[in-house]
Amino acid sequence: MSKELITLSHISKSFDGQLILDDLNLVIHENEFVTLLGPSGCGKTTTLRIIGGFETPDQGKVIFDGMDITALAPNKRQLNTVFQKYALFTHMDIADNIAFGLRIKNKSDQYIKDKISYALKLVNLEGYEHRMPDSLSGGQQQRIAIARAIVNEPKVLLLDEPLGALDLKLRQDMQYELIRLKRELGITFIYVTHDQEEALTMSDHIVVMNQGYIQQEGSPEDIYNEPENAFVADFIGDSNIISATMVKDELVRILGTEFPCVDKGFGEEKPVDVVIRPEDVELVPRGQGRISGVVSHIIFKGVHYEMEVQAGGFEWLVHSTKESPVGTEVDIRVDPFNIQVMNKPASEDEQALGVEDV
Amino acid sequence: MNNKIRPAEKIYMAIIFLFMYAPIVTLIVLSFNKSKSRAKWGGFTFQWYLNLVHDSEVLNAMANTLIIALIATIVSTLIGTAASVALTGMKRRTRSLIMGVTNIPMINADIVTGISLMLLFKILHFDAGFVTVLIAHITFNIPYVMLSVLPRMKTISPAVYEAALDLGAEPFFAFRKTILPDLTPAIISGALMAFTMSIDDFIITYFTKGSGFDTLSTKIYSEVKRGIRPEIYALSAIIFVVVLVLLLLSDRMKVRGSKIADRARNAGNVKLKRIGIAVAISAASIAIILMALAFGGVFTKKSTQVFVYNAGEYIDPEVIELFQEETGIEVVYDEFESNEIMYAKVAADGAAYDILCPSDYMIAKLIDNDMLMKLDWSAIPNAKKYIGEQYYQSATAFDPANEYAVPYCWGTVGILYNKEMVQEPVTSWNVLWDPKYRGEILMQDSIRDAFMVALARRGYSINSTDPAEIDTATQDLIEQAPLVQAYVIDQVRDKMIGDEAALGVIYSGEAIYTKRENENLEYVIPDEGSNVWIDGWCVTREARNADNALKWIDFLCRPEIALMNFEYITYSTPNIAAQEMIEDEDIRNSKVAFPDDETLSRCDTYISLGEEGDRLYNEAWKKVKSAN
Repeated sequence: MSKELITLSHISKSFDGQLILDDLNLVIHENEFVTLLGPSGCGKTTTLRIIGGFETPDQGKVIFDGMDITALAPNKRQLNTVFQKYALFTHMDIADNIAFGLRIKNKSDQYIKDKISYALKLVNLEGYEHRMPDSLSGGQQQRIAIARAIVNEPKVLLLDEPLGALDLKLRQDMQYELIRLKRELGITFIYVTHDQEEALTMSDHIVVMNQGYIQQEGSPEDIYNEPENAFVADFIGDSNIISATMVKDELVRILGTEFPCVDKGFGEEKPVDVVIRPEDVELVPRGQGRISGVVSHIIFKGVHYEMEVQAGGFEWLVHSTKESPVGTEVDIRVDPFNIQVMNKPASEDEQALGVEDV
Repeated sequence: MNNKIRPAEKIYMAIIFLFMYAPIVTLIVLSFNKSKSRAKWGGFTFQWYLNLVHDSEVLNAMANTLIIALIATIVSTLIGTAASVALTGMKRRTRSLIMGVTNIPMINADIVTGISLMLLFKILHFDAGFVTVLIAHITFNIPYVMLSVLPRMKTISPAVYEAALDLGAEPFFAFRKTILPDLTPAIISGALMAFTMSIDDFIITYFTKGSGFDTLSTKIYSEVKRGIRPEIYALSAIIFVVVLVLLLLSDRMKVRGSKIADRARNAGNVKLKRIGIAVAISAASIAIILMALAFGGVFTKKSTQVFVYNAGEYIDPEVIELFQEETGIEVVYDEFESNEIMYAKVAADGAAYDILCPSDYMIAKLIDNDMLMKLDWSAIPNAKKYIGEQYYQSATAFDPANEYAVPYCWGTVGILYNKEMVQEPVTSWNVLWDPKYRGEILMQDSIRDAFMVALARRGYSINSTDPAEIDTATQDLIEQAPLVQAYVIDQVRDKMIGDEAALGVIYSGEAIYTKRENENLEYVIPDEGSNVWIDGWCVTREARNADNALKWIDFLCRPEIALMNFEYITYSTPNIAAQEMIEDEDIRNSKVAFPDDETLSRCDTYISLGEEGDRLYNEAWKKVKSAN
């Protein structure tokens, strides 16, 4: 793994007596695309603003490249931010916007000129030097905001829901642009979003946050396939999250029926939660599966059918390329390695804190 | 769709414009009127405009007004803008609390703000003058600036500012580059509002200005007693035109400014910004220099001063100059609108003025309240040498031993009538009750003068405090009311000159001059007798420059100086030597200016009525006015 670039240690922050971040610890490595993912109010933007220097933590330290920068003003930090609503300087043209940081650093005119054309090329907006920001579309404005940030050659680029204001198609295009940029620039991106799909598409490393705590960290695959608690499972994609009992190692009782699984070490007759992704639920003819049920709802989604199946007193969400009309009597089968077993949180706070710390 | 304006709409527009501009047009027309009267067109003249150039007092007041307005605008705009920015960053509850507090000066009645500030300055021992007025103006201007800037500030996203910080800008630079440009239109409109409020303000200025300092509004107001001079029309006309031109220019500038800005952007031109910075810096330095000068002026108090408090337009300004030149004493000259206002000011701060020029009854009141200093007659030889003995005799009515006052001006109250409209000889106040002249009679809008007429007509004392007599007089005045065209003050002369009324109660000083404008006017003191009034110079008991005050009196008693003042004021002078020097034979021998002893013997001065008497008159006057 590459070297540690930013370390947040024991960060706490509250606004008006309301705790937003509670003893948060996070390490960000060089040249990583890190995404802070979570619902609104989870503390992800506050975390980003603490890194950017726009907020000072009540407790804890921010270490950047081995230096404590907790109290350093934002204009002294070697990182740049792309804001949610672009925050372009509306009374300056595009060239002046991009040159803003370079002029402050007293770069030569030629250097600035070269940088502007380089940055505009990078974001595919060559020839826009003398346009005014208002005359650009949302996507173009966001690309200018990115260009304005990267010409300063920051070690880290902070992006605060930069695609939030764009429409779906543009958002997808920009996701690929950002991945490309990240590769070409070879710097660290810290990206904040509440869109799990965006996070899965772009990130090297995802940090799932809720209620001021980190719920789970890991690669997109880890997060998706092995959510460590019900919150993560629910937040990352659609899931069937069912209360169950761990009978013994590699055997779990779901809705009264025993299913073989691959998890061990939960003890015997222990209450747990299980997560089964909808695409992992197989519908088979009566008699061939473990639980019997009836299809109660079906819609066509393009790539697959999305169905709801009433079985064992639970409404199962099922994705399948095979159509089963409403009323079809089916059995449900799940491969052992597709059953993800999680500890049940003992309290709500514990749930927020994440299973790993219990 | 029909886009033409319908006739009804046109008429409506015309009426609105008429309402808005008719008064201003009247003012501008009058500013070119050769006649001093408002009622008569005496031909076209630039005289009033030319006079203005030489009128150092008005020019001074105008300079004060502009300097105060300018500095107050700059300072309050800076503070107000800074406050708006700071408020936006605060928590909602703190913000609304602070907003509430800062809005108070705006919602508060001016008079409350003015008096509070005056009291504060007194307690802090600030010398009222330029600095106190400036502080007051800054204080009441800040909320207006915030009113304009704060709403704009709320619409500006802090993200733009943060973006600038993020790109390495220092906080102030980031503010200047991101928030300030968006805020500028609001700041300019706030500054314009502050400037206008500052120029407009009268009440707060009045209470905080102290002695010897005037802005245009207080200067003009102090002249109300004697009637506003045509020079003031000229001045107002100039101000109106200047404001109009400024408005038009600023409109043009806006259009052109945006074009230039566009071009500058296209060319990547930073020159404009540099110019802007240069302008701002030079404006700020001018403001600082002005402030320094002002403070310097306040703190270098000269030892040779005399603080004079006189009625408005009651001296030839050249006399003040001559006195200063000759004696080296600096005259801090202030004017009051009425005896009552003068009394209030002196009662509030006995040491504010060294010398006053009150009327007879007010002198009595000041003596009663031990507010005057006994005069050292040996220091004012001219006062005994040139002022007629008979005037000292009359003065005993209010200054029994001739210890406190030196007569300055005097006159009578009588009837001015138009010989064309009134055929019969006028000898009695009864003519003012003659139904023949219904709607043609003008009365003085003043308690004492109105009751004097009614009391004298009945043969009662004009200083009567007998409730029965006052009651009779009240009934008489109520009975007369339907015949009266109007109760007015200085409009009597204008209306009489313009043939708008047949009869009017008027002061002799005004009467002398009306005859020059309208041959048909005749002044008479009725047989029943009337009021003779005397205004005199008195030194305050707490005077800090009593010696200089005595020099002032002695100087004014010189015959040639008294003559200058007589020719300027036109009220009769008690200075016998000056009377004899009057060149115009008609005036020297005028019965109006100098009635014979027999007529004078029928006239009395007003004496103080006492508290009970004042109350009696006030109530009676209310009855009369409400019967109208």
